[in-house]
Amino acid sequence: MSIFLQACVNGLLIGGFYSLMGMGQNVIFGVMKIVNFCHGEMLMVGMYLTLLLSTHLGLDPYACVPLVAILMFLLGALIQHTLITPSLRTNSFTNLLFLTVGMGMLLSNLALVLFGSEYRTIPTSYSQTYITLGPVNLSLPRLISFGVLIVISIALFAFLKYTTTGKQIRAVSQNPVGAEVVGINAKRIYILTYGLGTALAGVAGALLTGFYTIFPTAGSAFGFRALIVVVVGGLGSIPGAFFAGIFLGILETMVALFISPSYSDLIVFVTFIVILVVRQLIIIRRK
Amino acid sequence: MKKLIAILSVLAMLLALFTVPTMAEEGPIRIGTIYAMSGGNAAIGENILRGIDFAVAEINAKGGVNGRQLEVVRGDHAGDPAQGRSEAERLITQEHVDVMMGCHMSVVTEVVAQVCTQYGVPMITAISTLDKLSDPDHEAMDYFFRLCPLNSVYVEDMLKYLKDSSEQTGEEIKTIAIFTDRAAIGQELIRCVELYKDEYGFDLVATVDYSSNATDLSAQVLALKQANPDAVLCDSYIGDATLFVQTLKAQGFTPKMIVAKANGFTDPAFLTNLGDAANGVASVVEFNPDLINGQEINEEFKAEYGVNMNGHSAESYTVVWIFKTAIEAAGTTDGAAVRDAIAALDIQGEFPGGRKIVLPYDRIKFENYDLAGVPHYRDNTSASVAIAQVQGGEWKTVWPFSFTDTKILYPAPLQ
Repeated sequence: MSIFLQACVNGLLIGGFYSLMGMGQNVIFGVMKIVNFCHGEMLMVGMYLTLLLSTHLGLDPYACVPLVAILMFLLGALIQHTLITPSLRTNSFTNLLFLTVGMGMLLSNLALVLFGSEYRTIPTSYSQTYITLGPVNLSLPRLISFGVLIVISIALFAFLKYTTTGKQIRAVSQNPVGAEVVGINAKRIYILTYGLGTALAGVAGALLTGFYTIFPTAGSAFGFRALIVVVVGGLGSIPGAFFAGIFLGILETMVALFISPSYSDLIVFVTFIVILVVRQLIIIRRK
Repeated sequence: MKKLIAILSVLAMLLALFTVPTMAEEGPIRIGTIYAMSGGNAAIGENILRGIDFAVAEINAKGGVNGRQLEVVRGDHAGDPAQGRSEAERLITQEHVDVMMGCHMSVVTEVVAQVCTQYGVPMITAISTLDKLSDPDHEAMDYFFRLCPLNSVYVEDMLKYLKDSSEQTGEEIKTIAIFTDRAAIGQELIRCVELYKDEYGFDLVATVDYSSNATDLSAQVLALKQANPDAVLCDSYIGDATLFVQTLKAQGFTPKMIVAKANGFTDPAFLTNLGDAANGVASVVEFNPDLINGQEINEEFKAEYGVNMNGHSAESYTVVWIFKTAIEAAGTTDGAAVRDAIAALDIQGEFPGGRKIVLPYDRIKFENYDLAGVPHYRDNTSASVAIAQVQGGEWKTVWPFSFTDTKILYPAPLQ
């Protein structure tokens, strides 16, 4: 029983990260209907930014989170404005596919050139601190990260639901033409959403540095899981992505616990394909 | 006329080929080396070549071999078997090397060994550990010898260490588990543990694997925790090795012993990343600066190159000394004679006119033997590795007991 509880908690803690990544991906998809294939690399950039800020300015990794969010927002906005917005006009899906995939490769190779292939960590005074809560063991950095990302998720829900900008984002995502008719500047919303999505990935990266190693391809495993989360949670749905992320994390640990750790990836991907196919069948039947 | 020139030039080339061996008994003795000096593995090549240069300088200062100086001719395989083959042919036919050393990737070593056998040039590999290089498929490569232990010997030594540890800890290790990467390195560890576990009386209670650069290893560690083995054997790349040790602590599971098959665990970043949290983790090493026979040479090596000697430099250093001893025994650099001298060599404790063997064993003899029912050819059967353990944030040799004064830290504190 205690092992089961422990596995649940582990799944929850890592699932939070899949949620954050999936929500970032879905904010972008909802508005622009593009899959951001460099989402994982944005997480990696967030990690290296945290590394730079904490080594050069002596900041605690968690104190870097707001700074990383702002910088990543600016980076995303820049990429959107200079590269993606012009490509959106071509209405070509392949163009954007190659653009985001290429951007991902560019970023991970750039990191390789700038930082080398070494695996780094940011040691803190509390990185080796562990808490025991009844039958469950927790590492302090994982707990803090989870707390922060829950706060961020709630803030994101509130932002989209109650603020004018949030409402504009939702309006563009539901009906871009209608939104423009009522006077919403779609281009501004595009910049805002891509910046927001990138910032969410960057924040996930910053929160990971507390207990994960930093290396140029660190983002790919998380980026891939973000895609699964998006598919399982529903394209464009923010709450869907949140719960799908937690579900994925718990699924991974449960499969490992009850079947075998060797099969956890396999079963996750099979589930992914099954959900994809079943959903497609349901949609066809409804029509 | 053209025909005549063609015939003459062919004759001239043949003549050149035949005249070389008679000239070769004068001037320096040439050692060909084929390692990666460019590409992603260049750093490994550099350590190997340092070991070779260090031995050559030492031997030349003492008057060389049979009164002749040693000279190193370097080839670069850049990690590519095809380039390894062309470099081997270049070194043999154009540079006229007398003996060959290489390589650091077993696939390249295999190709180069075939070329050497074809031309009758004796070759010793210092560091290629793949078992099959000396298996029955390679019986005919009779100019090729291997100094280093085989992959399966690495694993057997890990088990021997667990067995011997009770002498110091007073507690017997009975159950073991494997934690490893799903890639080829992991399969190799699993295969070798299966091969030897019964012989050493261990009960394998869990085999846990994961894919490289995992996002999370807590499920794997929980599986280990459920099986609750006395010792965990592992092989991981550096990112996963770091995450593994952190996750062990986070999940509140500290096995009494953790023994790694080098790789990510001996990467310098492992200690930088984990600091004291790595205390108690043990790993296979081919050489460690605190080995009783290695301390002196390491001082001199460090004074020369500014870095510690590592396993690769120590092994390649030793190979140069083997060539020296064999050529002196043969009294010539003729390929077949040197090959026979290497095969007959039996070095016990120290090289004639040289140091004690700097590696964690005290005999070098190339033999044909049976390994788990499969015949193997021309391996150094006395070769073994040492086990080092992180103590106070540093790697300290703890096994074989006769090569160190440091005692095992037990159970592994991980803090």
